[in-house]
Amino acid sequence: MSDYQVLNTRAPRVDGPAKATGQAKYTDDFKIPGMLYASILQSPVAHARILHIDASKARKLTGVKAVVTAREAGLIKYGVSPARYDETLFAHDKVRYVGDEIAAVAASDQDIAQEALSLIKVDYEELPAVFDMFEAMKEGAPQIHDEFPGNMNAEVHQEFGDTEAALRSCDLVVDHTFINKRQDAAFIEPHSCLAVFDHSGRLTLYTSTQVPHYVMRTVAMTLQIPVGNVRVIKPYVGGGFGPKCEATPLEMSCGLLSKVTGQPVKMTYSREQVFLHSRARHQFYAEMSLGVMKDGTMVALKNKAVLDGGAYTSFGIATVYYSGSLLGGPYKLKTMKYDGYRVYTNKPACGAQRGHGGVAHRACFEQLIDMTAEKLGIDPIDMRLKNIMTTGDITVNELDMSSLGMKECIEAIRSGSDWNNKKGKLPKGKGIGMACGFFVSGAGYPIYRSDTYHSTVVIKLSEDGGVANVMTGSAEIGQGSDTTMAMIAAETLGIKLKDVQVHSGDTDYSVDLGAYSSRQTLMTGHATKEAAEQVKSQIASHLSEELNVPVSSITFADGIVKFDGGPGNFEKLRSSYIKEHRGWMDPPTGEYLTFREAARMAYLKAGTIVGTGKYKPPRLGGSYKGAAVGTSPAYGCSAQIVEVTVDLETGQITIDRMTDAHDCGLAINRTSVEGQMQGSLSMGLGECLFEEVKFDSRGRVLNPSLGEYKIPTALDMPKVKSIIVESSEPNGPYGAKEVGEGAIMPTIPAILNAIYDATGVRVNELPATSERLFMALKDKSEAV
Amino acid sequence: MLLPKFDYHEPATLEDALRLLSEMGGNARIVAGGTDLLVRMKLKVEKPSHLISLRKIPRINVIIQRENHGVSIGAAVTAGELSTNELIMERFTPIGLAAARLGAPGIRNRATIGGNLVNARPAADLSPACMVLNASLKLKRSKNEREVPVNDFFRGPGETLIEPNEMLVSIFVETPPPWSGGAYIKLGSRKTLEISMVNVAVLLTLQSQNGPIVDAKIALGAVAPTPVRAFAAEEFLIGRQPSAKLFSEAGAIGVGMCEPITDHRGTMEYRCLMIETLTSRALNQAYQDAMTWKPLPV
Ligand SMILES: Cc1cc2nc3c(=O)[nH]c(=O)nc-3n(C[C@H](O)[C@H](O)[C@H](O)COP(=O)(O)OP(=O)(O)OC[C@H]3O[C@@H](n4cnc5c(N)ncnc54)[C@H](O)[C@@H]3O)c2cc1C
Repeated sequence: MSDYQVLNTRAPRVDGPAKATGQAKYTDDFKIPGMLYASILQSPVAHARILHIDASKARKLTGVKAVVTAREAGLIKYGVSPARYDETLFAHDKVRYVGDEIAAVAASDQDIAQEALSLIKVDYEELPAVFDMFEAMKEGAPQIHDEFPGNMNAEVHQEFGDTEAALRSCDLVVDHTFINKRQDAAFIEPHSCLAVFDHSGRLTLYTSTQVPHYVMRTVAMTLQIPVGNVRVIKPYVGGGFGPKCEATPLEMSCGLLSKVTGQPVKMTYSREQVFLHSRARHQFYAEMSLGVMKDGTMVALKNKAVLDGGAYTSFGIATVYYSGSLLGGPYKLKTMKYDGYRVYTNKPACGAQRGHGGVAHRACFEQLIDMTAEKLGIDPIDMRLKNIMTTGDITVNELDMSSLGMKECIEAIRSGSDWNNKKGKLPKGKGIGMACGFFVSGAGYPIYRSDTYHSTVVIKLSEDGGVANVMTGSAEIGQGSDTTMAMIAAETLGIKLKDVQVHSGDTDYSVDLGAYSSRQTLMTGHATKEAAEQVKSQIASHLSEELNVPVSSITFADGIVKFDGGPGNFEKLRSSYIKEHRGWMDPPTGEYLTFREAARMAYLKAGTIVGTGKYKPPRLGGSYKGAAVGTSPAYGCSAQIVEVTVDLETGQITIDRMTDAHDCGLAINRTSVEGQMQGSLSMGLGECLFEEVKFDSRGRVLNPSLGEYKIPTALDMPKVKSIIVESSEPNGPYGAKEVGEGAIMPTIPAILNAIYDATGVRVNELPATSERLFMALKDKSEAV
Repeated sequence: MLLPKFDYHEPATLEDALRLLSEMGGNARIVAGGTDLLVRMKLKVEKPSHLISLRKIPRINVIIQRENHGVSIGAAVTAGELSTNELIMERFTPIGLAAARLGAPGIRNRATIGGNLVNARPAADLSPACMVLNASLKLKRSKNEREVPVNDFFRGPGETLIEPNEMLVSIFVETPPPWSGGAYIKLGSRKTLEISMVNVAVLLTLQSQNGPIVDAKIALGAVAPTPVRAFAAEEFLIGRQPSAKLFSEAGAIGVGMCEPITDHRGTMEYRCLMIETLTSRALNQAYQDAMTWKPLPV
């Protein structure tokens, strides 16, 4: 085990007691005097021109305080990436999907707000709509945005080396196509926001978000409030998984309504509205060819993607880049070609979701590797090991694997699952499959072009010296980032974990880009570490002066200060501390000077002790177009083995066991790492076997509830063996890197490879329902 | 989503409840577990102005053994109770098994057998189980009561013989003869919290441990506008010697009774194929159960 006092342990979560006892407050729990309730009017039709909006009746309803439409909100365009701002808060000329926002009301209670919505009369001229991405690309398809002919939202073309020539030189080229289905992230807490516009012209938003910083910027821009006057506070959040990575119409509407009425305004989406807002995983179509030599050496990969984007861009540009850039590893390829297309359709917009852009293409690629290995007569694990990248390798698209325990992960699952005794030896109906994947530890660049720090952190000691307050804008959304920052601060300061208090999720505390791209452990972690080091060095220099000892002789660990490894002579500090705190219950004791005494002494000399830390990645990546997407200071990686049983008479699939290894660098908190690994498996299992947002022929979501949109239950989850692999990442704080998203990468293909092993049937369309598998089995047996 | 406004009543006696029901006519609904009704009210599919709760009515939530010849199940007995009751599991097996597959523990603690039957969804779990046991439903109104066989009760999705001023008070089931065995199989996409794509309940009675089949009842759910009995398959089985082959032939016949639809849960073609497979599986399981029939300890 390590020499760390706090890091690398299984410390309980700092927010555990508040959550377990119900004391934790989520946005919708907040009530303040004079608070109004808001509601949004959403389009019932998928594509129409708005001819006229008449809100006069709604405005007259008793209890209604304000009704806002595009007329009041203005037509400022916003979105996620400034390169594609294509939304306005409210639709004005057209609605583009069932759910497009048209107006919002604030009223004295929720019933009245709902009733007011029904009194707003909108005249539509319905337009032909298109719901399928391939239809949308055809000539003559209904056009959704005038500025984007052919409904082409974004196109990417990248090539590294001469792929066609390389393919021609290969001994074997294998093709595969794959299609997943639109997802919903199914977080437990629907979006919720409480906006308070105060008399000094300052807007405070309490909101369920992953990215307080981006929400602050977007809301300031769309509502035309100076950005310094917008404060975003993220209370406890019940999950995000990606769709809460951008400002929502809910947040902007609450802000606008509060500004108009001068009263606090709250709104919470219904579950149906969560589905309508969406911004979750796209539907991806993948078409790939892999060229190899007879000995299994991978040479060339050709990859094509078509993404169903829905009606707006959201994160889509990044998504369509990621589908290409995240395939460069973890295998050594000589050439790679990528063509990606993101297409508009008249459906809710898709955005980022765990494993952003990479999951479906990884699923296709990892199946393709198995198919190739089978043709070559090579064991799938050996095939991967033959081509695996190791620490220091750089992918064909110039991503730098500054640490990579990929090989260790594969070896760990091979023995952890007893693969060698199972592969090829299981009875019919039972199967075993594996897959690998990797992911960024934080995007190398912010979403808007900027030289901003990605994270700053302030650590402020309490006056008595006993508590270190870590202040950060980072977002604890259930993933455990507050615990991680507390542990990094405690370790660095040399104090006990219980003496750290984390204050997070507030744009007034510090700058932090938020919880997306698995960035906070590495980036906020760096800034936390630096802030703690600054605090520590201030205390050390004051101690050195006061006690007349060299700074280099002073060490801090576990709440205790040592001088040359011993107690030193600190009597005068202790007696003055005790004198100052006469009658208090907890005078410092013991043979060593405590951190508290030292910090108090520093305060008496210098005033409140504050340290600040900051982090931004160095310039990363190549110089080709789009080279920024996929860059990261570090990459996590994982390998999984899945064992399944298929009921050959019904097609029902039971996942029996999963063995999962992930290289997260130093595991700051081992329990949290395992939690992320297992959560990823569950999410991947759901996408693989059950999940699909379905639409009727008019573009209405058919299953906008957690009853009909099926995420895995406890009974669907198998026994999981989680193996933590710890490489040492030079670019991570204490060598740490990501685990939040990378762990989902291998899940789907590992399941599908296991199904193939059990049945001889390749599932190339998700979800792998019993019906889909049964019909494929039937076709196969009839074809023989 | 908000519930529409309504008045809530908690009558303390059955008589009071029935009186309220007849006074308010179509404006009132009985609320048992509320797991169907409250969902529909939130969706604004139903807007009753009065809800009459069964909560305080004595004995409407108990299971009463009628000597040895049967059992009376109060309408407000929950699926949770049915799935853990030893008598039900042992002698009225399809009901116990079906109750254990309804929803998840949280739902089973609230969902009642009465609500499940009156709600009359084609995919409901308890309906086919009650049908193979030939349950009879006691319907009461202020002035009188009647008994209706569950096999006549369902008329269409959400439609039954019950009148707006009637309450289902109990379900009576005769104890199946010796050497009877039951089974219930539900096919959905995940392992629990599922609405059936197809479900099958079976009750099989043998003449003796190894003897021929003297009675067979098969009911299928989610395959037609109401749960249906597979009469042709039942007749085919009676008098024959049980075997895997026989059961698979019966499964094929069972499909003939069904007119499943294609919807977002599954296609017609797959459902038909599964009726065949699952009927034959359920028959095999019921046969195993029947062969191990034992007199109940006194
Ligand atoms: C998450 C979830 C999962 C579910 N899963 C399943 C499942 O797996 N299988 C399944 O079959 N169902 C399922 N259901 C549906 C529901 O739980 C069941 O139908 C349940 O048995 C209904 O019983 P209840 O007591 O809650 O009925 P209520 O909602 O209280 O009532 C339903 C209807 O019956 C009427 N009613 C109730 N009792 C009486 C009575 N004694 N006399 C006259 N009328 C009466 C009510 O007026 C109402 O119209 C699920 C529901 C939810 C919310």
